[in-house]
Order: sequence, then C-alpha cells, then structure tokens
Amino acid sequence: MKTEIKKKILSPFWMKLTLFLSIVGPGLVTANLDNDAGGIATYSMAGAQTGYRLMWVLIPVTIALIMFQEMSARMGIVSGKGLADLIREKFGLKVTFYSLFFLLFADIGNTMAEFAGLASAGEIFGITRYISVPICATLVWLLVLKSDYKRVERVFILGCSVFFTYIISGFIINPNWTEVATAIVKPDFQSITSKDLPIMVGLLGTSITPWMQFYIQSAVVEKGISPKHLWHSKVDVIAGCTLMLIVTFFIVICCAATIYPSGVVVNDAKDAAIALEPLAGKYSSILFGVGLFNASFFAAAILPLAGSYYICQGMGWESGVDKSFKEAPHFFTVFTTMITIGGAMTLIPGIDLFKILLYSQILNGLLIPIVVLFIINLCNDPDVMGEYTNSPAQNFFSYILVALMFLLNIPTLYFSFK
Amino acid sequence: MEIFKDLSEITIHFSSTMGIPIVNEDGLKQGRLYDYFIDYEEIYPSVLAIQFKRNGVLFYIQWEDIISFSFKKIIVKNEAFPRRSRTFPKTLRLKTVTSILANQFAGSTVEYPPLGQIILDKQIVDTHGKKVVRVNDIQFIRAGKDLRVTHAEIGLRSFVRRLSLERPVDFLVKGIRPQAKYLSSESTINWKYVHAIPNRNIQKSVRLNLSNEDLQDLHPADLADILEDLDSHGREMIFSNLDPELAAETLSEIDDEELQVSLLKNEDPEKVAEIIENMDTDDAADLLNELDDDKADAIISNIDDIETQEEIQELLEHDEDSAGGLMTSEVLELSEEMTKAEVLELIQQKHEEVASFYEMFVIDDKRSLIGTLSLQELITKREDVRVKEIMNYSDIKSLEVTTHWKEVADYMNKYNLVAVPIVSAENELLGMVSVDDVLDRLLT
Repeated sequence: MKTEIKKKILSPFWMKLTLFLSIVGPGLVTANLDNDAGGIATYSMAGAQTGYRLMWVLIPVTIALIMFQEMSARMGIVSGKGLADLIREKFGLKVTFYSLFFLLFADIGNTMAEFAGLASAGEIFGITRYISVPICATLVWLLVLKSDYKRVERVFILGCSVFFTYIISGFIINPNWTEVATAIVKPDFQSITSKDLPIMVGLLGTSITPWMQFYIQSAVVEKGISPKHLWHSKVDVIAGCTLMLIVTFFIVICCAATIYPSGVVVNDAKDAAIALEPLAGKYSSILFGVGLFNASFFAAAILPLAGSYYICQGMGWESGVDKSFKEAPHFFTVFTTMITIGGAMTLIPGIDLFKILLYSQILNGLLIPIVVLFIINLCNDPDVMGEYTNSPAQNFFSYILVALMFLLNIPTLYFSFK
Repeated sequence: MEIFKDLSEITIHFSSTMGIPIVNEDGLKQGRLYDYFIDYEEIYPSVLAIQFKRNGVLFYIQWEDIISFSFKKIIVKNEAFPRRSRTFPKTLRLKTVTSILANQFAGSTVEYPPLGQIILDKQIVDTHGKKVVRVNDIQFIRAGKDLRVTHAEIGLRSFVRRLSLERPVDFLVKGIRPQAKYLSSESTINWKYVHAIPNRNIQKSVRLNLSNEDLQDLHPADLADILEDLDSHGREMIFSNLDPELAAETLSEIDDEELQVSLLKNEDPEKVAEIIENMDTDDAADLLNELDDDKADAIISNIDDIETQEEIQELLEHDEDSAGGLMTSEVLELSEEMTKAEVLELIQQKHEEVASFYEMFVIDDKRSLIGTLSLQELITKREDVRVKEIMNYSDIKSLEVTTHWKEVADYMNKYNLVAVPIVSAENELLGMVSVDDVLDRLLT
C-alpha cells in the first residue's frame, strides 16, 4: 500500500514535467537557434547603424518565418519524413543533388559564421582565436559524435536565456516607447537607401535560413507527433517565433538606444556589448561574451549535424551519430569537413571575415526562396500531405512572400557585387 | 514482329528509358514514357503497361499493345486505346489476398500504383542485407516478349547515371584506373529481397499485394535495426504489420526508449495490449511507465489475461530505480512437498510464461519465501526426491522490494547470482531480478 501512495505523490510532478517538455518543442528550440552568432551580429548592427528605423522589417520576416516553419512542421507530422527525403522522393536524384550541393556551401559559410562568433566571444575574454577556435572545433566534434548530445542540448537551450537580459536592459534604458512603436507600426519607406538593403537582407537571411527548415522538420519527425496534435505544433511554432521576435526587438532597441546616438561604428563584439551596459555595467561585456559563446557553440554543433543528416538522407547514405565510421562513412566525412573548413577559414590571417559572412548570407538569401518553393510545392501535393494540404490563402501569402524575397535579393546582389 | 528487335541491350535501366517518345504505327506522337506498371505478384515482375504523360495528364497503354520497344522510340498499335489513370486496375490471381482485402474490392481487382512512384528514390528494406537503403535506379531484363524487373540499384554507378554524368565519369575513371571496380560492378539488390514501403496515401487509395512474409523471417534484432534506420512513416508501416509476438520481441531489442514509445503511441490500445502481453512483464512495465498515464491505463485495461494485467499493475507501482521496478513477477513458485517429477511438469507447463527457471523459489502457504532451488540441483537428484530435501533454506539470498538497483547489482555480483528473489518487508515473494535486467541498466 505504501508504494501506491508514493506513486500518487510523484504523479503530478511527472505530469508537470511531461507538460514542460512537450512545450519546449521543436519550434522553440529552432527559434532559439535563430539567435546565433550571425543573428546577434546582424540585429546589433541594425540597431547601431539605423536606430529603430528598420525594426518594422522584423514583423513581415516573423510572419514569413511562422508560415514557413508551420508548413515544414506540418509536413513532418503528416508524412513522417524529413524535408530532404521528400524532395528526393518527389523531384528525383538530380534536383536533390544540386540543391543539396549549394545548401552545403551555404551551410559551411554559416558554420564559419558560428566559429567567427566563437572567436569574437573568446577575444572579449582576451583569448586569441588561434586557441579558441581549434579547441572549440574539437570540442564540438567530440561532443556530437562521442557523447549523448541530446542531453547537452538542454543545457544550451537554458544558456540561450542569457539573451533575455536584453529585455531587462531594454526596460532599464526605458527608451521613448512611442518612437519605437511608430517605427514598427508606421514605417518610413522614404528613408530607405541602398545602404539599408544589406541589413534588410541580413535580417531576413539570419531569421529564415534554409537549414532551419530542414532542422525543424526533422525535429518534428523525430518527436513522432500524430496529425491529431497538429494544433499543438502550430502553437509551438507561433510561440517560438514570437519569443524570438521579442528578444530580437529588444536587441535592436538596446543597440539603437545606446550605440546609435553616439555614432560608433560596430566593428566587433566589444562594441555590441555596450548595449547591455545599463543592466550589467562594467560586466556587460562578460555577459555578452557568455551569451555569444553559448549561442555560437550551440549553433556550431547543431548546424553541421543537421546539415550532415539532411545531406545523407537526401543522397540515401547511412547516417547517425551512433553508427561507426565504417557503417556511415559519408555522414562522418560531411560532418568533419563542415567543422574543419568552417573553423579553419576563420583562422586564415588577413581574411575579411565580414565579407565571407556577407556572401554566405547572400547565398542563404538566394537559396531560401528556392527551398520555400520546394516546401510550397510539397505542401500542395496530396500524395504527401493527404487531407492536410495548404489552403488557398496559405498558398497566396506564401507566394507573395517568396516574390518579395526575390525582389529584395535582386537589388542586394546588384549592390554587393557592383 | 519481334518487340525488342531494335534493342541490343539485355539489361535495361529504368532511368535511361524515361522520356522515350511513344508513337503509333503511323508515327503519330502519343507522349513520353513516364513510368511502368508491373505485376507485383510475380517474383520477377513483368511489365503490364507503360505510363506516359501527355499535356500533363497521365495515361497508360497495355504492354500487349506495344509493337516495338527501343531507346529511340516505342511504337504502339494504332487501335491501342490509352486509358487515363494514375493507377492500373489488376485482377488478382494469387490466394494470398486477405479476406479484408477481398471484401473491399468485391471484383477482386486492385489498383496498382506505378513502379517508379513506390520504388525509385524511395527507402526500401533490403531483407537479404538486412538494412534500409534508398533506390537510385531499377534494373530490367528482357525475357522473351516481356520486360521483367530483376534488381533495385543502390550503388555509386547508378547514382552517377541518375546525374546524367555516366559517360564523363566513366571516361575519367578509365583514364585514371582502367581496372577500377567502379566500372565493372554495380551494387544491386535482387528483387526477391526488395521490401517496398508505399506512401501513406497510396496505401489508402490503392492496395498493394505486398506480403509481409519476408519480414517475418528476420531476426528481431535485425528488424529493430531496420526500424531505427527508417523514417517514422516507414517504421509505423512495418511495425503495425508485424504480428504481436514478433512486435514484442522487436520492441525489446530497440535500445532507444523514445523510439519504443513513438512506435506504440499511434497504435490503438488493443493492439498495444496484445504486444505488451507478449513481452516480459518487467520490460512491459518499463515501457508503460514512459507512456502518458491515460494511454497506459487504456492499454492495461485492454490486456485480456487478468494475471498479466495484475502483475504489470503491481510492477508499475514500484519506483523505476528500485528492485521493484526492475523485477519480473513471472517466477516459478514451488511448495516444499512437491516431488521432482511435479516440478519438472510445472516447468513444462509454465516455461513460456516465466522469464527463466534456472532459479526457482519455494514458498509456504502464506507466500513467504522459505527456500531456493536451482535447476541444476534438481535435475542431478534422484527421481522421487522432494523439494524440501534438496532446497537451500539456511542461507537465502533475497532482497527487499525497495532496494536501489545499484545495490541489487552489487549484491548479485558479490554472491555471483544469476537471479535474486525479491520480497516484501514481510518476506512475501513478489518476483525476481535476473542478471540481464541489471546488465541492461549497467550498460546504459
């Protein structure tokens, strides 16, 4: 009888825990990943260079993000398959091969951005990148392949909460809220110059990345959610994206309020850390450094991992961290290559990191509309989606968003290569 | 007229025939080759019809209506009538059709999906190599007037062919290493061993006569590996078609707890209950612990065997990390007065239910543990011996139900025990922990 009572006491705790774990779903994890090194840098830069002026861009970007992620999540739930699998099964080997080939390039660029973030975070603490990057690359490699990665992931997600300090910092600064609200609700389109274009593409490119679409779908598939709980995943996606939007807003607000008026050009992570000074004072750079390190390390682990998974899935190669090298040679080769190249590039003396970052983001920006076109096409295929195909309204807005992305990409390409 | 007279090759690849123009005897263009319908009932299926696309609409023409088949063009009879359909109606011949299927299609015809749609670029199970692979290409062979499917191709060569890079790559490799294995060998899977996993929607609208026999013959451990490699759709598809006994064995072989749960999550409680009944009660209890309370309750109430139901319920009440959470309640219980013959008879009756009988436990009428007896001890003694004469009663190694599993492990290690009886505080026999249960914990 004693044991029965014990079970009854335990039970509500377990209920709460399961509830909690089901809420921290794929959507929230993916949204957290959005605030990676590239994201923090771009949002800080946007605030520091343009003030509140471009904040409105984040609204359509978030709406687009919610729409695309919802589609990917729905596809994963209904079909039980990853995005790369579905592209391969519907469009054949040739299309898949060339798409994944370019995606791999973009992913290596993105991985490099994460290592650049690690390098910057290290430099805040006075550690040269020639030490921090090789050590972190090795750690990432060992962590993912030789340990139980899933458990470590939770730690990273908690670590991401460092960025919530931007919200506190924002309230301490107490900016002119009406000014902020006007910038968001009534954007001043006349003031946009060609110099704003890279920042706008950057905001788009760091928020909506191709690899994240693959990532959220795999995460949903892995959870094995049944179509009955479709609403559940919608809430998860919307909550995740909204949370990301709020954090992003506050990063921009903090940088706009502290750095923009002084006219300082943000060159490295130290400058961006000024935004946290109202909260943390002289410890602001430490706080920023820890946050940047966590975010970069997290993404530097997940990005190559997700990349190797979807490439192997699409190509039909064995994949899995629990396999031996002999069983899944392609998987380990792709993973190791991404980390090695991504890490090594940041160490080339005299390399213009910023330029490479920009190019990798442009490649991202070029690829995302194509990936989204795949997603829309698959979401309209009854063979894949059954009764859960896109509604006409969903299609209409998705196509408009794709068209807008193309429209934004063309002048950016023109101005950046001119 | 000979259908293959303009075709010199014996083996033909699916991908290299795609897009061949289809014309009638007068040279009037009908469309371009898009896919094949094959007789899935045959071991090496023959092509029944070819599918082609005209203005974005899919048609098929029966194989009998083809006059000539070559890489340049396919000539069909003038009077051939292309039918507009995405599937091919097929009258079934074999008796393997289940009664459910027969009722559903009263005319005993099924709609076949095209070959490429369910095989090409899809994941299949190679039941010979016991692994999951993605198909790059399909190999046909011309046999008399027929075209027959013989292999699924999975290697690098078929990969390169699909990228339309066969010639340049061949040229390069020949230049560098003429004896390269790449040039001569093609990695293929014999069609006999190809187990397709149709899409969810194909499964719904059209029925494939895919027997599951080839999978039933696999070892549960191999099946577990295959399930781990498949996408979740394929997993469900295969798992839900396994009979409860094999499903239970396969489930026990899967190491990943989350995967175990996700396999059971979408099955209905009755089916899960059947699977659970076929598992050892301790494994079953562990698994039920991972499910939501509602779901677990629904499953337990669906278990037919009252005894199993009670045992599992009892196990569920114990803390997962205690001896109670680890133990199985299916043990061989003896009474003092039993003879050797009676014990052996009991073993014969109960051997399927109990987890192991190398270690047997003697209880009195209050179910208190009063002795232990090993199988070895028993079978080496004379026939008319009674349990009380040979059982060990002075130094009984038993543990209480609340003992932490690590202590259980230490205890078993210290005394070299294969199984240890678990008792309540009042020395009532509740079950036993065997060494493999502890080993599982130690290794994870």
